[in-house]
Amino acid sequence: MIVIANNLIQLLVILLLAPMVDGIIKKCKSLSQKRQGSPVLQMYYDLFKLIRKESVVSDTASWIYKATPYIVFSTAAVGALLVPISTLMPSVQFSGDIILLFSLLALGRFFMCLAALDTGSTFGGMGSSREALISSLIEPSILLSIFTIGLIADSTSIHQMMRAMTEVGNPFLHPVYILTFLAMLIIILAETSRIPVDDPATHLELTMVHEAMLLEYSGRHLALMEYGAAVKQLILMTLVANLFLPMDQLIPFAGEGAFILSIALYAVRVIFLSVVIAITEISTVKFRFFSIPNLAALSFILSFLGFLQYFVLGR
Amino acid sequence: MDSYYDILSVLILLSSIILVSHKRIKSYIKTFRIQSALIALTAGIMGWNSLMEEGRFDVLVVCGIIVLLKVIYIPRLLHKTYGSVEYKVEKDFFLNIPLLILICCGLVVFVYFCVSNISGLNEDHINLQVVNSFSVILIGLFFMISRKWALGQMIGFLVIENGIFVTAMFSTHGMPFIVDIGIFIDMITAILIMGIMVMQINKQFDSININKLKNLKG
Repeated sequence: MIVIANNLIQLLVILLLAPMVDGIIKKCKSLSQKRQGSPVLQMYYDLFKLIRKESVVSDTASWIYKATPYIVFSTAAVGALLVPISTLMPSVQFSGDIILLFSLLALGRFFMCLAALDTGSTFGGMGSSREALISSLIEPSILLSIFTIGLIADSTSIHQMMRAMTEVGNPFLHPVYILTFLAMLIIILAETSRIPVDDPATHLELTMVHEAMLLEYSGRHLALMEYGAAVKQLILMTLVANLFLPMDQLIPFAGEGAFILSIALYAVRVIFLSVVIAITEISTVKFRFFSIPNLAALSFILSFLGFLQYFVLGR
Repeated sequence: MDSYYDILSVLILLSSIILVSHKRIKSYIKTFRIQSALIALTAGIMGWNSLMEEGRFDVLVVCGIIVLLKVIYIPRLLHKTYGSVEYKVEKDFFLNIPLLILICCGLVVFVYFCVSNISGLNEDHINLQVVNSFSVILIGLFFMISRKWALGQMIGFLVIENGIFVTAMFSTHGMPFIVDIGIFIDMITAILIMGIMVMQINKQFDSININKLKNLKG
């Protein structure tokens, strides 16, 4: 019973918080440009509006096109169950679930690429080929950094890894964690199509990557695709917040109070990370498409050096 | 205290890899300045420790010299030299950047296997710092041979010097003062001579691209 309740809380917190993270990032960006910007809750209004509208489907589209929004959203929602928001809460856990998490996200992305090719529009094909290139470039770095953390924690279960990280003390006094953290920041930017890799605010045909794949969708389907992308972004941020900025060891007491406090601390860390992402977006420009391998190589070498330092330090 | 040295050594290594991944000469100079500031910070921490424990203040003096020379004077000199070059084409490397970074990665692994065989250095923490700072030397050398322009090669030379200094500092925790001063005076002479040579190359060939030195053949 408690396990079911925990999983429900877990799912609800991530699903309800996800559109807000997007709002906070947009608000920071518009404040930096001396604009008032849209309200923080704007994405909720957009989703409500889109869900009530009918969706138009092209005559030539096959079943893949119609199934993709549901696949994208449901893989993101199952992923949300796997990443615990607090280490005090025993949710779904088994060994190897971090690999399952990344393969679920990759499954959603695979169907997204197929659906963009399905309608036969030029932009869809362009967007999906670019997305496939970016994801295959960033994949080695993801695997290396999660395996490094897994080696330190002696486990491939996300919950165990987070538990191990709370016992490290201050992770920023440890070279392995600082390198893996920097690698993960680049990974988040690439995976959620943020500015050095892709501009989420543009619909310019030469530069868009993620938006090009969503171009044919409308109404309910578009709402599900955008919601799925927001949930995926929050999942990655939760992973970084709980692995590299652990705070649960600071709570002195146990029981329900500790649980509520740890969720509040989690929200604070997610807001902090979204401000960090917003500052990165403000202070950098979008890279030329053929410069993205440089960024991916940098991310790879950060995680590789972390891996090597782990072997040198021997713990 | 050792964990601070670990992190600083990793950050110095990282700054040299970021230097390799840059495309523009102004960013080379900026990254070199950041690396020198990190080295000055390391020397500052070591100097403070030796002042507190043994009453020696020479490492602190070395730290001050690094700040004056490498963080302020040499980057300014390089900016001035770059400003006086007329023909400014930015792209100046032989291989593409991901390949350069992967080769650097290989260099770090190579150094790891070399240094881990030296007995006497094999006490956990010293080992890590020496691996990182030794890699800085090799990466500086590699940076020198991967760039076509004379200015890039000057910065490669400075990175090698930084690497040697950091290796010495991490393995001895403060060298004799006279050795440090000797190294600095050698370096400043070399930089002044190189600056004059860059000017001369620029005047003679209208470019500092060293590929054009082939024109010298009769």
